[in-house]
Amino acid sequence: MTIDCRGKQIREINRGIRAGLASGEVEVLNPDARHNLAVALLQPGAVRIRGSVGYYCGGLMDGATVHIEGSAGWGLAESMLSGMVTVRRNAGNGAAAAIRGGTVVIHGNAASRLGVSMKGGLIVVGGNCDYMAGFMGQKGVMIICGDAGEAFADSMYSTVCYVGGRIADLGNDAVIEPMSDDDVALVESSLRTHLGEAVRATKPAAHAFRKVVAGKKLWNFSHRDWKTWQEAL
Amino acid sequence: MSVRQPSGIFAPGVIEEIQRKAATGLYQIRGYGTLRERRWATFDDLTFLPCTLTRIPLEGYREKCNTKVRLGTRFARKPVALDIPVMITGMSWGALSYHAKVALAKGAATVGSSNTTGDGGMLMAEREHSRSLIYEVLPSRYGINVHHMRMADAIELTIGQGAKLGTGGLLLGSKVSDRIAEQRDLPIGVDQRSPARHPDFLGPDDMIIKVEELREATDGEVPIFIKVGASRVFDDVKLAAKAGADVVVVDGMEGGTGASPAILQEHTGVPTLAAVCEARAALEDIGLYGEVQLIIAGGIRDGVDAAKAIALGADAVYIGTAALIALNCNKPIYEEDYAAIGAAPHACHHCHTGRCPVGITTQDEDLMRRLEIDEGAERVANLLRAMTLEIQMLARACGKSDVRHLEPEDMAALTLEASAICNLPLVGARKVFGR
Repeated sequence: MTIDCRGKQIREINRGIRAGLASGEVEVLNPDARHNLAVALLQPGAVRIRGSVGYYCGGLMDGATVHIEGSAGWGLAESMLSGMVTVRRNAGNGAAAAIRGGTVVIHGNAASRLGVSMKGGLIVVGGNCDYMAGFMGQKGVMIICGDAGEAFADSMYSTVCYVGGRIADLGNDAVIEPMSDDDVALVESSLRTHLGEAVRATKPAAHAFRKVVAGKKLWNFSHRDWKTWQEAL
Repeated sequence: MSVRQPSGIFAPGVIEEIQRKAATGLYQIRGYGTLRERRWATFDDLTFLPCTLTRIPLEGYREKCNTKVRLGTRFARKPVALDIPVMITGMSWGALSYHAKVALAKGAATVGSSNTTGDGGMLMAEREHSRSLIYEVLPSRYGINVHHMRMADAIELTIGQGAKLGTGGLLLGSKVSDRIAEQRDLPIGVDQRSPARHPDFLGPDDMIIKVEELREATDGEVPIFIKVGASRVFDDVKLAAKAGADVVVVDGMEGGTGASPAILQEHTGVPTLAAVCEARAALEDIGLYGEVQLIIAGGIRDGVDAAKAIALGADAVYIGTAALIALNCNKPIYEEDYAAIGAAPHACHHCHTGRCPVGITTQDEDLMRRLEIDEGAERVANLLRAMTLEIQMLARACGKSDVRHLEPEDMAALTLEASAICNLPLVGARKVFGR
């Protein structure tokens, strides 16, 4: 099924996408960076968007796959339960915010607050990410092939981050931990699966990634860590 | 002056607090809401002017006085239809026990009212026992689940809370049990501090898009509420209405909390009385008063507070702490357990400890069993019934056949401050001060 967004209200487009999912793949033409495209898709099936999208594309989703051939605005795939969202180019602020499952693949760069409050799932970024990626990450895995911006992995709970490039600055309570064999295997398989063999070959070797986790000093109030709290609060 | 005269500045409580800080190096965290003796204008500073020779009253016990209210008539296809204008506010499963959450849902449903989820997602039992369930979307997004959202009768996008403006939720480790940790995707036992900002929008213009997303996710069926803590109320209410809210909720500084830094409860925000006046003025200013419904929250204790809020412009009120008190909060039972946490009946604000002696604000299985769900639900229903009768009593005495016909003119101010804030004449003076 093909849906042309031109001249249509967002509700009509999304209803069309949901109806089309039942019969397989839906192609979306002329998205023109519209907001709230492919929101709350609750069944399996694939959507291929031929262009760039605005805010919240793939948000509140459970089970579908959305391929965006251009770039994405803020809040890409926010609060997703399961499924997959891929972006051929770049993603705006708060991509994969609060996802509880599923996979988000950004082939270009991600802006600030990538994976903020993520509660599960997997994020793979082929390029760089800007400041405060992983902020308050609760669960899940984030893999950045390029450089990470300031305050990386700030105030996290149990999210695990891997960075192939330079980290501008670690956030509060973020610590670097040695890569285990399991970590190397996870990064390698994730990159091969989600970037493809040819692109994966252009990225750093898996053992060269650095693993960033929470130091757990902010997990509980403690006067012994007063200096940490002063900086964090 | 006595040589034993304590300082008015460094009063005994101040000395105790300074020495507590000196010992711990930390600010104080507690629950319940402001404990200050209120010197600001409150609903108590207004009095009703029932009918005499200039107005005709309705028969107090006989003539009809409608209490039904519909919320979300602006855009939603299915507005929330309630039998009474007193609703249960959002309090999380986590801050509250399972027993408390289910008792509130059952109690509200019994009398045709609503209850609200809270900062921890939806409990399935809560949905099953609710008549109208409002699903909160909070900055933390704990337990966020689109399927739960689509089961709800309204969505409440929460920007802030009156008790602790500008900050997120707080749930100390003693309450982050295995079940709560699983629901919120957190490690067991962490001192959970929720975000203050939403993860995917910042300002009011972004929020317009967010509201549209929530409508898309619910197919435009249910109302979208936007809840703000009372700060710059006049501006915030207009911005919420502009963002497409069907209903705006304003939570005054007397609102409660399960845990928060004490200074935020005591020294931030605008009192509920002032908040309702600013909120109404804001909606009138943009020509949406009546079209966008207004819910007021924050320290509402009884039908009198509720009737005054409605007369000043609210369509309905939320109660939180009052409903917990109906569940036995601060009741003089299990007194040794109050003492064990440094509290006493009638003076307990130790919700943050997770050791609630009456089983409401705890995740401890033994403690929560002290709150029997069906008995608790009946007490909540009784409170809501009694509050509704109180509102009707005042409305009928003022000659109104619908509680929402109560209006500012039905009241006068007892103090200069209330006169200025509410734009009501001061008793005896027959003029509004501060105009």
